[in-house]
This record gives sequence, C-alpha cells and structure tokens, in this order.
Amino acid sequence: MIDPHFTVSEDGLMTPEGTFSPGSPPAGIRRVPKGVDSLGTEHLIVNMGPQHPSTHGVLRLIVELDGEEVVAVEVSIGFLHRGIEKLAESRRFDQLATLMDRGDYVSAIHGEQAAALAVEKLMGIEIPTKAAWIRTLTAELNRLASHIVWFGTFGLDTGAMGQFLYAMRDREALLDILEEISGQRMMFNYVRPGGVLADLPAGIDRKILAFCDTFEVYLEEHHALLGCNEIFQSRVKNIGIVTKETALAFGLTGANLRATGIAFDVRRDRPYDAYPALEFDIPVGTVGDAWDRYMVRMEEMRQSVRMVRQLVAGMPEGEHMAKVPKVLRPPAGEVYASVESSRGETGIHLFTDGGATPYRYRYRGASFFTCQLFEEVLPGHLFADACMLLGSFDIMLGEVDR
Amino acid sequence: MQPDVAAVNRALAGLQAAIDVVEAPIGVVLRCAQKDASAVLKHLRDGELDCCMLIDLFGLDTGEKVEITYHLRSLSRDEDMYVRCGVDYDGNMHSVWNIYPSALLPEREAAEMFGLTLSGHPNPKRLLTTDGVPPLLRKAVPVRSAEEVRSG
Amino acid sequence: MSPEVVSLLRVLAAVGLMLMNGVVLIYMLRKVLGRLHQRLGPMHVGPHGLFQTPMDVVKLLTKEDITPANVDKALYFIAPAVVFTPSLMAYAAIPFSETWKITDLDTGLLYTFTVLSLVSISLLMAGWASANKWSLLGGMRAVGQQIAYEVPLLLSVLPIVMYTGTLNMGEIVSAQSGTWLEVIPRWFITNPLFWPTFVLFFIAMLIKVNQTPFDLSEAESELVTGFATEYSSMKFGLIFLSEFSNSFVASAIAVTLFFGGWSLPWVPDEYLAPIAPLVFMIKVYIGVFIMMWIRGTLPRVRIDVLMQLGWKVLIPATLGWIMICGVLMKLFDLGRPVS
Repeated sequence: MIDPHFTVSEDGLMTPEGTFSPGSPPAGIRRVPKGVDSLGTEHLIVNMGPQHPSTHGVLRLIVELDGEEVVAVEVSIGFLHRGIEKLAESRRFDQLATLMDRGDYVSAIHGEQAAALAVEKLMGIEIPTKAAWIRTLTAELNRLASHIVWFGTFGLDTGAMGQFLYAMRDREALLDILEEISGQRMMFNYVRPGGVLADLPAGIDRKILAFCDTFEVYLEEHHALLGCNEIFQSRVKNIGIVTKETALAFGLTGANLRATGIAFDVRRDRPYDAYPALEFDIPVGTVGDAWDRYMVRMEEMRQSVRMVRQLVAGMPEGEHMAKVPKVLRPPAGEVYASVESSRGETGIHLFTDGGATPYRYRYRGASFFTCQLFEEVLPGHLFADACMLLGSFDIMLGEVDR
Repeated sequence: MQPDVAAVNRALAGLQAAIDVVEAPIGVVLRCAQKDASAVLKHLRDGELDCCMLIDLFGLDTGEKVEITYHLRSLSRDEDMYVRCGVDYDGNMHSVWNIYPSALLPEREAAEMFGLTLSGHPNPKRLLTTDGVPPLLRKAVPVRSAEEVRSG
Repeated sequence: MSPEVVSLLRVLAAVGLMLMNGVVLIYMLRKVLGRLHQRLGPMHVGPHGLFQTPMDVVKLLTKEDITPANVDKALYFIAPAVVFTPSLMAYAAIPFSETWKITDLDTGLLYTFTVLSLVSISLLMAGWASANKWSLLGGMRAVGQQIAYEVPLLLSVLPIVMYTGTLNMGEIVSAQSGTWLEVIPRWFITNPLFWPTFVLFFIAMLIKVNQTPFDLSEAESELVTGFATEYSSMKFGLIFLSEFSNSFVASAIAVTLFFGGWSLPWVPDEYLAPIAPLVFMIKVYIGVFIMMWIRGTLPRVRIDVLMQLGWKVLIPATLGWIMICGVLMKLFDLGRPVS
C-alpha cells in the first residue's frame, strides 16, 4: 500500500510540485492509470523489500516496472534506525566511538576518527604524531577492508559468486591485523579524542607488509577475473551514468563523486591526521558510469596499499594518546569535522554546552545522501541493472538510518 | 576555507530579506527567516559565491525554537558556509529541494525528528521512525537511561 | 518377461537414475563450488559430507509444505509435476551403451529436444501460479529465454544430422567409431567441420538448462530463487531435481553428439562392452563438472543482451553454418551415413 500523501492530480498521475535545475525532477512513484494503451498494459509495482539479496542491508525500494524496465523508484529507509544522534546526547565524548562504530560498521575507524576530530578541534587538543599516524594506518586498512566487501558484493550482484569468497578470504587477513591492533574485528572502539586506545603491538608491521605483498597480487587477480570479463564489462559500462551536475545537486561525495570527474577528496582538500605527510594519487573518472565507479574504487585500493606501506615505513616514535582529562568537557560551541570514509564524506557537526555530553550530535552519513540518488538514476534502466547499480554506489544502511 | 564576510554581504546585496552575516568560530553563518531560505540559497548557488553543494541539512533544538542549518560548500572557491533559520515548535518548514535536491531526505528527517510540518516537498512522509513515535531530537523528549529502558 | 514388464522396469531404472543423479550432482556442485571458492563444501555429515544430500532429501520430505494463500491452486500443484516429467522423459532416447538404452528411437535426437522444450511451459506455470511478482518476473524471463533458444539449439546440431543421415542417437555414436592415425578418436569434436557446431551448441544448451552465465530466471542475487521462490518442501525438491537432471541430459547429449558417447576407440570391444555405461557416465560427469566450473566463475548476462544474442547472433550463425556445412559436405563428399 503506497502511503497516499502525494499530491494526486486529476488524471491520476502524482507529480512533484515545482521545477528545479539542474537535471530533471526525481521521478517518484507514479501510479499509472490502468490501460495505458489499447492492450490494457499496466505497470507492475514490486517491493524490493527490506530483506533482499541485493540491497546491501535493510533498504526498501518500491519499484514500478514496465516489463523489465524500471519506470520509477521510491526509497524507503529507517529499518536500521537506532537513534544514534539522540543516544549521543547521553554519552560522554570518549564513548561516542562506540556509537559511530555502529553507524557505518564496515569502515568503523572512519566514523570514530570523525568523532574524535570533532572533539579535538573544539578543545584545541594536539595529538601526538604517532597517534595521528596510527589512526591513519588503521583508517587506510579499514578502507581496504570496506572496498574489499564492496568488490565482493558487487560481483555477487552481477552473478559472479566466486569473487565474493575470494574477497572475504583477503578481508580475513585484514581483520586479523585489525583485531591484533584494536582487539575487535569490526566494532573497533579504538580511536578516541586525543589519540588511540593502545599502541601498536610489536611485530604488526611485518604482518601488515606481508599482507600488502599478497594483497597487491590478489588485487590484480580480482581485476583480471571480474573487471576484465566481457560479460561484466557489458553489464557495467555506460550504465547508471551520473553527471557532474547531478552528483553535486544530490550532495554526492567520495568515490561516487570522483567517478563523475570532480576531484574532491577530504584527505587532500581538508587534510587531517597524517595525510599531509603521505604521497597518494586521487583516481578520478570521466563518464560517471558504474564502470568508472568500479575503476575508481579499485585504484583507491591500490593507493591505500601504497599509503599503508608509507605509514608502516615511516611510523614515528612517541605517545599513542595525548594528555587529556578523564572526563572531557569541551567548551560551549559548535564544530564540524569530516573524514574521507570509504563511502564519502562522513561529517560530525557537534554542538556542546560545556557539559560532559554533547548538546546536539549531527552525523552526516555519506550513504544517506547517496541513496537519495536512486530515485533519479535508477529509472530508465532494466531491473537487473538496478540491482547492479545498488552495488556500484556502495551504500551502508547503518550510515543511512543511523 | 572560510569566505569573507564582506564578500558574502556583497553577494547578497540584491536580496530583499533580512540577513545577518556573522563570523563565528565555526565559520561564516548567515541568519535569516525560514521563509526567505529558498531565496537566499538560490542566490548563494547562482551568484558569485557558487555554492554548488548542500553538504548537510539538520535541525537543532535551542530550547526556544528549532534552528535549521543548511551547510553549503563551494568547490570552486573551496569555501564552506552555513545558513541558519529559526522555526517555531510545530511550525512549518518550506522545502528547498528544487534548489538543492540533496535536501530531499534530510528535510524529511528534520521535520520528523523535530515535529515540524514540511511543505513544498514531493514526498513529505516520515522517514526513519514509525507512526506514533514522538519527535525524538526535541529536548522535551528525554533520553532514556539504560535503567529506564530495562524497567520498561 | 512380457514386454510391458520390461518397459516398466526400464522406466523405473530411468527414475532411479534420475534420483541418483540428483543426489550425486547436488553433492558434486557443492563440493566443486566450494573448492572453486577456496572453501571445503559439506564436510560434517558423513565422511567428507557424503551423506549431506541424502539427509537433505530426507529433510525436504519431512518439511512443512507451505502454500501461500493466493496461489492459483491447480497450476501451483501441477507445476512441479510438469517440470519433473519432461526431465524424466528426456532419458528415454539417451544411449548408455550399445545395449543399454531405455528405448531405441529412430527420431531420438528430435524427441529429446522436444521433450526438453516442454520444460519452459512449466517454468511459466510455476512463476505465474505463485502469487508473487518476483516469481512472475522469473517465469517470464525463463520463457522468453527458452523460446528464443529453441531454434538455435535445433539448428546447431543439424550439421551432425546431415553428416550421419540419422536422428537415432545410438547410430550417431556408432558413426563416431574408429580412429585417425590410430590415436585420435573419430569423435565429432576432433572433426574441424564441427568445431563451430560445438560452440553454438554449447552456448544454446547452457541457456536451455538455465546455467550461469545464463541463469537469469533464478538469478539469486536479484530474484531470490526466481520462479521457484514460493515452493517449499518436496515441490521445491522436484523442481530442483529436474534442473540438475536437465544439466545431466544436456551433458549427455553433448557427449553423445560430440564425444563418442560410450565409445573408447583404443579399447577393444570385448573389454569395452561391460564398462561402456560407466565410460559414458564418466564423460557426462566431466561435462557437468565443466558447467559447474563456469557457474562458479562468470557473472550473469543481462536479459536484453541474452535475447539479442539469441535472435541476432545465434540464429544467423547457425543458419549460416548449416549452409556452409551442406556445401562442404556435398563438394568433398564428406559424411558417414549410417545404414
């Protein structure tokens, strides 16, 4: 039952009010009147329910199909809403990491980093260089883990089962390393305002370098098996094209934005932690189709490996945590801090009133803005493409619903 | 990174609205009435300030009213700025989606979380919570402690 | 024994073979896919998981049979039977050895293809009868796919029929007896004339039996289980048994037509005769293994690309190759007519 809160015009078509530029208005669900042609053709309204192999989490898409072609899409979210923003109002500032872990749970370090940066900016804390380098190291390892998951599930969306398991095999090595560093495989609770929870364990640099060596080889294998496959390329090239104007209009960030040709990366343009000291390239696409997004993320993985090597080689000596009080009481004020997470720009807008808990904690999740784009991009494609495109945009429902 | 207050004032010169441009620690904040927000945002997007992206849109319960903040970014000038409007409790928020389509979902969330009504929006339904849930981010709705949750 | 009893025993043997195939092939699929995916597959139930499939069959038999409320009752109940029966009928004309055949049909090849094409109506039936839009989409895709590839499938094997002058599968196997240079068997796969035939046949057959990269009707990541989503317990078991059986039949046809069926030309006939069915089964299982190998590796083709491939590429290619083959056969007096 579609909620009848749309404006319904006389001929039965529900249209959005007003016009806007750039691009065309989002299609939205239109209940097309019965018998659009002499054969009495109707459109099929299908529910890609919260439980579906392809929606990467509990996302509900109400899809209007004309045969196999998607005519309109409505995005329905909220199945994973846990009230992170409200809960944050009763957590101390060093406990925010646990909440952020459960936002974008696949790249948890980035969320924790954003929260820590916000508090540090507000309090004017300078973290030790070693802490910054450790944070960046775990962030890049987490980016690799997240992109590996994206790669596996993207292959699965196009029908290739093997790639998913090879990706998980590679990710296991990464999760073992992260478990040694932080004690946890996924919800790390490691990055705190002032630094990190604990220093790197001895011998971890050898393990990380060994991983980098094997992973570089495997990455090329993955690309040869999936990316260079004719069938995959025919399914992915020139599908789901997002123009620069559409990307900016919908607030896209991260790899999705860079695939359209706009080279904005928070690591380079609003640098934080150890990124100013690292050498890395920003891959940028041209057309903005699913193939460009694939290539941008594959290249980002290579760049991440490059950065990890630099970080391990140049890890300075020092403290892993600055001298911060046990209970943090930032002065009253507001701050915005953002990081380049694997999905885009994850930002925290923090309002404080001088107490031990935040006054208002706004979590700008990158996927939240990406999933709005489905209503614009999916119509006009075939249904099989729709499933593939959901994978190519790499959303994480924890970040969308919070 | 932060625009110049004088440049902002110059860019907004033509508008009829009452706009307050302040340099705060977070950056340049423009204050205006909610009904003027669309005009201001349109001006910021199309004028020399070239704010091509709406990075975020959220609300804040100040205790007296709800403040909606629009976080804008200009990539060509590499600047961020904030537009802030006040809305009374249970008041109405007019949508700016036809200027920045990235406002579609955040406005629904802000209206739902602060108990505002949303006008001019193609799909003004609840976003994250089910029917019957109070506007969660209002200060009047308390945060339940773990004991309260356990005891019912 | 009276002929009726003999026929009944033969049919029961076919049923037994089909069920055994189901059990073995499902286990083989899980192990092959597992190894391709760097994992082990079933390991706990029995030594190396050998009893997994029989236990799964027991599970399916004892499961609760859930029927959704809105289904079209008659079609919903008949559909698994209509899926199963043509798959069983397809075993009739396959030659397991010189003497081991269910029947010896003079139109065996045509019969087998005809019977396999009956499966498509049942997919549509299953998809339509389940009151589920996803199943409907799966059923529609299946029917579109199957109809598009009926013609190329039949046309692709016509050169072999022209060469041997017969549709009898047993005689096609006999036409592949002997060797070249004492080493290379005279199977049709070693005959350059039939290499394009094999390629076209292989593609068309993969599509006919709904195997990856063409398994759109049950595209797991899009449609859950496609047309069979609403079936539970033994109805689901019948549908999936039929699918594995079809892939066995497809491989059996390929082995019969191109790989000499049960013949091993290097082995003298007295030794070959008792083990001929075993040789045949081994060859067929190698063919099925290759299909599973492809299944674990390649992504899935999109429906419109598939349709274009069928109507715009395969049909002209098969027609063209028939013409060229015919001309070549007449010109160089090729052909080993059997009679």
